[in-house]
Amino acid sequence: MEEDKSKSENPLKVNRRHFFSQLSVGIGSLALGSLLIPDLFKGGKGPLASQPLGIPHFAPKAKRVIYLFQSGAPSQLESFDYKPTLTKRMGEDLPESIRNGQRLTGMTSGQDKFPLMPSAAKFAQHGKSGAWVSEFFPHIAKIADEICIVRSMHTEAINHDPAITFFQTGSQQSGRPSMGSWMSYGLGSENQNLPSFVVLTSRGKGNSQGLYSKLWSSGFLDSKHQGVLLRSGKDPVLYLNDPDGLSRSDKRHLLDHVSSLNKIHHVETGDDEIESRIAQYEMAYRMQMSVPDVMDIKKEPESIIKLYGEDSQVPGTYAANCLQARRLAESGVRFIQLYHQGWDQHGNLPNEMAGQAKDVDQASAALILDLKQRGMLEDTLVIWGGEFGRTNYCQGNFDPKNYGRDHHPRAFSIWMAGGGIKPGITYGETDEFGYNIVKNPVHINDFHATIMNNLGLDHEQLIYKYQGRRFRLTDVAGNVVNDILT
Amino acid sequence: MAQKNSSPWVDYVIFGLTVFLVFCLIFESFIDLPSLVAWLGRWHPLILHFPIVLLLMAAAIGLFNRIVPKLLLTIATLSALVTAITGFFLGTETVPKGDLILWHQWMGAGVAFLAVLWYWLSTNHLQQTYLVKGIQVILILLVGFTGHFGGMITHGEDFLAMPRSKKLEKIPENPLIYEHIVHRVLDNSCIGCHNPNKSKGELLMTSIGELIKGGESGPALVVGDPVNSELIRRLHLPMEDEEHMPPDGKKPLSDNEIQILERWIALGASDTLKLSDLDNSEPLAGMVKKMMEEGTSNSWAKLPKVADSTLQNLASDYVTIQRISSNSQALSISVFLPPDYDPKNITDLKRISNNIIELDLSGIPIGEKEMEFVAMCKNLEWLEVDRTPLTDTEFDKLKGLAQLRVLKAYETGITDKSVAVLKDFKGLKSLYLWETQISEVGFTELKEALPNLILDHGIDPELKREFIEKDTIVDSIQ
Ligand code: HEC
Repeated sequence: MEEDKSKSENPLKVNRRHFFSQLSVGIGSLALGSLLIPDLFKGGKGPLASQPLGIPHFAPKAKRVIYLFQSGAPSQLESFDYKPTLTKRMGEDLPESIRNGQRLTGMTSGQDKFPLMPSAAKFAQHGKSGAWVSEFFPHIAKIADEICIVRSMHTEAINHDPAITFFQTGSQQSGRPSMGSWMSYGLGSENQNLPSFVVLTSRGKGNSQGLYSKLWSSGFLDSKHQGVLLRSGKDPVLYLNDPDGLSRSDKRHLLDHVSSLNKIHHVETGDDEIESRIAQYEMAYRMQMSVPDVMDIKKEPESIIKLYGEDSQVPGTYAANCLQARRLAESGVRFIQLYHQGWDQHGNLPNEMAGQAKDVDQASAALILDLKQRGMLEDTLVIWGGEFGRTNYCQGNFDPKNYGRDHHPRAFSIWMAGGGIKPGITYGETDEFGYNIVKNPVHINDFHATIMNNLGLDHEQLIYKYQGRRFRLTDVAGNVVNDILT
Repeated sequence: MAQKNSSPWVDYVIFGLTVFLVFCLIFESFIDLPSLVAWLGRWHPLILHFPIVLLLMAAAIGLFNRIVPKLLLTIATLSALVTAITGFFLGTETVPKGDLILWHQWMGAGVAFLAVLWYWLSTNHLQQTYLVKGIQVILILLVGFTGHFGGMITHGEDFLAMPRSKKLEKIPENPLIYEHIVHRVLDNSCIGCHNPNKSKGELLMTSIGELIKGGESGPALVVGDPVNSELIRRLHLPMEDEEHMPPDGKKPLSDNEIQILERWIALGASDTLKLSDLDNSEPLAGMVKKMMEEGTSNSWAKLPKVADSTLQNLASDYVTIQRISSNSQALSISVFLPPDYDPKNITDLKRISNNIIELDLSGIPIGEKEMEFVAMCKNLEWLEVDRTPLTDTEFDKLKGLAQLRVLKAYETGITDKSVAVLKDFKGLKSLYLWETQISEVGFTELKEALPNLILDHGIDPELKREFIEKDTIVDSIQ
């Protein structure tokens, strides 16, 4: 795959030595390949090892992803993981046999007691599938039969930054490419006039954690795969519009000249990034036309606006971003990453979480319904979830009306819909305390492997060699969770 | 005339090898090869190229009445002998030998013996007799046939047949479960390695009898007992298990296919059972029907080849053309609205119309011309013409698209008149008709005609009202 990249993206770097090394490999492998028994030298490598880039490895079930990231880590115990035992044993200390040495964050490591705290939100079963959803999410409850709730996610990180970095890049340390960049790298773009990876952010009133552009960085991949942050308001992309008095044809001339200069420079230095830069200028030129068009929510009829909730008319809200996400998906953006901040309820959880839920509940559910009526759930994968879960014990004062929960990596819930995921199922199970997973655990690597699988990519074959080491989104782990696939 | 100038030991070597080959062929069944010798057999596919080239060259030179250089003939003869012997070694790994291998073996041996005969004649100054000419002609033919049979062993019998004739036969309406379903699954995934010419694990899978007989580790199939059938056990092993079938790198059976095999064995592995014999409540019936519907992606194998350069020429900033998967000729095309739209943007794709499986024309102001083009895409399975100004007149053109599975036609002007066209799409699985002029009567008619269709004509009104009316989030907590 690395070879393919150097050929397709950078023809100039094929110098004499390069040519000869490829030639000899070519002739050598030709001879061996045809003369010896075909399987003899194949070893463990599958037939995919030399796949060209920008094409799925196998027929995909999803063409694009909308990832509704709930930044800060919403509590699974007040949303999708119903634990009546916590009510029965309210206030009792979490048995050590259950905690089993789990490390604590600095925020609760000083606590000498870990009193079990039940959910302030009531639960009920919904839909034909009988999925448990709390009253904080009445709209999501109504689409329970469209989604697959995974209650057995787990991670290694216990703090926001490493945890969210892990989810976005497959590694707790920053520097690796974001998921969206990997998809853009592996699948190419569907619409040449828009970036293939787009980011939209919004913020609730709850306690929130920072978001940094490193989360949508392309890492060591070509910078054209980087996520493009679209802002709310008049200028979705900063500096995209031409200054007054510059006509489009002037702009064209300008770009042509700049690009011919850049090409000269590229011949001299052979630096890949110059090519990327040329491509990005061209993309920006086309985006001057395409972006305002996609971002123009005014074209949406009243009934759709209402479906997503009144908020959707207010630029910069989660609801507006959900509607935007649908429009971007329709326009062929591969990976649409939303972040909604404010889910970090160390205290005042019942109130804050109800507020956060109100921000996202209707719009998330509306997005699913809207995609469904457009037939887009057939090839769009929607993911909803945070970076880890929250503890089953109380942080701070023990008050069932106003309590907090700390970070919990061992078990949490997310949901997915469309794009080859079985609708109307609940997957995985935690123990009666909601602390440990007892059935079908899904690690972040497995989650990544599964998403890639649905997009037609073999996570073991999408590889990028950098600084002498081969990298994958799933690094050296990950199994596709076949049980939740259609 | 050629001189007898080679040293005598070459003659001895040739003589020795000839005797050895004769011995091998005669005492085949008594020979038990040490593994080193078996390993020598592995070189057969490498060495065999030498006698092919050298013998053909020598024979051709002879037939053109030129003097065949002695050295050439010597090397050709030696290589023919070595090839035949290594081939024999390789062949002993397959027991019992299938027809193909037997033919290949005897013809290969024939080539070697003829070469030796020719060598002997020429050493004795009998170069230009008619006998030698005859030998040369026969050698050319024999080398060709031997090579061809060898090719069929490694690449499959239909390697040189006209591409694709038999495998893609449609499953009949009322299939025999064994012959048309089970055997088809085995034929696609297993029989390539488990046939009389290449019986891996000493297992043949070409008939029920052979399956019951089994291979190295006993019966592969226990009638009525899938759990104890070796064949099923291997299908269920994790992919990374050495014993998983089919082995590493080959496409595994789908869950449905595995269940079909299991259920068929559980029901007694009959070869006369037909689909119509099965009760509707019998799970096998459902699985078989599912498989009959699924035949689709296999049919992509017969699509015409299209070059990457063609795709590059046809693609533009507004027309994205992608292969659905690598090495596939099936294409997925998305068109986006350019500032200066011209129907030619779409109709230019005519050249590759047969390869288009998915076509997304959402939001493009398409009219008659474009729809005429769409009608040419006979293999189309997925069509998006939503948010377009289509009316019944243009929609009518879609009639012949027999492969359609998914059709998005919401926000168009089609009316009940188009229901007749839609009713004919027997393979249609999902249809999106929200915001069209089709009436409730039309929808009912459609549902009756296509009971398996998932018909979406918008969000359930009741549900929609709940969304639109008011946020219901609990105020008590806030
Ligand atoms: C690429 C070649 C290949 C294909 C394709 C293949 N097999 Fe095999 N099979 C082998 C080899 C090699 C062995 C012997 C090694 C072993 O026992 O694992 C074997 C052994 C077996 C055995 C055990 C035979 C015995 O008695 O030891 C069974 C059962 C079997 N295969 C079933 C299948 C089935 C079912 C399929 C189709 C889904 C299949 N095979 C496809 C190569 C293949």
